[in-house]
Amino acid sequence: MLIYDIWFLFIYMFFLGNLIFVSKNKHLFVVLLSLEFIVLSIFFFFFVLLIFIDYDMYMLMVFLVFSVCEGSLGLSILVSMIRSYGNDYFQSFSML
Amino acid sequence: MNNNSNKMFFLFILFFSTLISISSNSWFGCWIGLEINLLSFIPLISNSKNLLSVETSLKYFLTQSLASINFLFMILIKFSLLKNFDMNNIISIMMNSSLLMKMGSAPFHFWFPNIVEGLSWMNNFMLMTWQKISPMILLSYYFNKNFLIFMIIMNLIIGSLGGLNQTSLRKLLAFSSINNLGWMIFSIMISENLWLFYFLIYSMMIFMMISLFFLMNMYFMNQLFINNMNFFIKLNLLINFLSLGGLPPFMGFMPKWIIINFLLINKFYFLTFIFMMTSLIIIYYYIRIIYSSFMFNYFKMKWMNLLMKNNMSLINLSSFISISSMILSTFIFM
Repeated sequence: MLIYDIWFLFIYMFFLGNLIFVSKNKHLFVVLLSLEFIVLSIFFFFFVLLIFIDYDMYMLMVFLVFSVCEGSLGLSILVSMIRSYGNDYFQSFSML
Repeated sequence: MNNNSNKMFFLFILFFSTLISISSNSWFGCWIGLEINLLSFIPLISNSKNLLSVETSLKYFLTQSLASINFLFMILIKFSLLKNFDMNNIISIMMNSSLLMKMGSAPFHFWFPNIVEGLSWMNNFMLMTWQKISPMILLSYYFNKNFLIFMIIMNLIIGSLGGLNQTSLRKLLAFSSINNLGWMIFSIMISENLWLFYFLIYSMMIFMMISLFFLMNMYFMNQLFINNMNFFIKLNLLINFLSLGGLPPFMGFMPKWIIINFLLINKFYFLTFIFMMTSLIIIYYYIRIIYSSFMFNYFKMKWMNLLMKNNMSLINLSSFISISSMILSTFIFM
C-alpha cells in the first residue's frame, strides 16, 4: 500500500504551487515560477501515472510541449511589461 | 501596426482551437484546445504599445493559464481514480470551477471587468462571445448540477448588482455578460440546443451593440449624452439595450422566455424568482441610461450635419432584426 502514498505528494506539490501563485509577492516573476512549479508537479504526476498503468509516454511529450509554450508566453508578457513599466512589481498596476 | 496579417493568422488559430477543444475524444484534447486558445488570443490583445494593453494581457494570461493548468490536474486525478461517470463528487466540482474561471463566471469573475475595460471593442467582442464557447461546451460534458445551480445564482446576482455603479460602457457590458452567463449555464443544463440558441442570439445582440459603439467610438456613458447622433442611431441603441435586457417584443426575450418556461414547468420557483429579479435590476439600469440619452438629454446642434450617413443600412438592418426576430425565429423550428 505504500505505493499509493505517492499520490499525496502530487496533490501537495500542486496545492503548494497554487498557494504561491495566489500569495502576495513583490515581483511578477515569482508568479510565473509558481506556474512552472505547478507544471512540474503535473509532469511528475503524469509520468508516474503513465508508468503505473504501462502506457506509452507520447501524451507526456505533448503536454510538455504545450506547457513550455505557455511558459514562454508568460515570459514574453513579462518582457513586454518590463519594457513598458521598467520593473515587474505588482504595485505598478494603476490603470485597471 | 493595427491592420496587419498577424491578426488574421492568430484569429484563424483561435477559431481552430475552439474546434479542437470541443470535438476531441479525450479530456486531454480539450486541454490542448484551451491552451492553443490562450496562446493565440494573447497576441491579438497585446498588439498596441500602451501600458493598458500590457496590463490587460498580463491579467488575462495569469488567470487563464492558472485555470487551464488546474483543469489538467483535475483531468489527471479523474483519470487515475477512474471517475468517468460519477458527476456528483469533488472532482467534477473542481473541473467545473476551472472552466468557470476560464469563462469569467461568478466566483472567479474579478478579472473580467478589468480586462474588458482595457480592450478595444472588437477584442471585447471576441472575448465575450467566442472565448466562451469552448469552456461552456466542456462544461456540458461533465457538470455537477448542484454546484452549477449555486454558481448560476451567484452569476445572476453579481452581474446585476455589479453593473449598477458603472460609468464605463465596457464594464457595463462586462457585467451584463456575467449575468447572461448565468442564463447560458442554466440553458446548458436544460439542453444543448437551447444553449446554442441562446448563445447565437446573445452574440448577435452583443455584435449589434458593439458594432454601434465601435462605429461611434464610444467608450463611456457621458459620450452617449452629449453626442450629436442621428435619430436612427439613438433608436437603434434603445432597441438593442432593451433587447439585451430581455424585454418582450425584441429579440433578446425569446431565449429567456424558453428558459423561464422550462423553469416554471419543472417547478423551480425560487430559481425563477432570482432570474426575474436580477433581470429587473439589469433592465432598470439600461432604462436609466437610454432614457437619459434618448429622451432627456436630446441635444441637436443646428450647425453641424448629421453623422454617419454612409452606414445607415447597417443600422436599419440591425434595428429590424432586433424588432422582428422574435417572430422570425419561430420559423426556424418549422
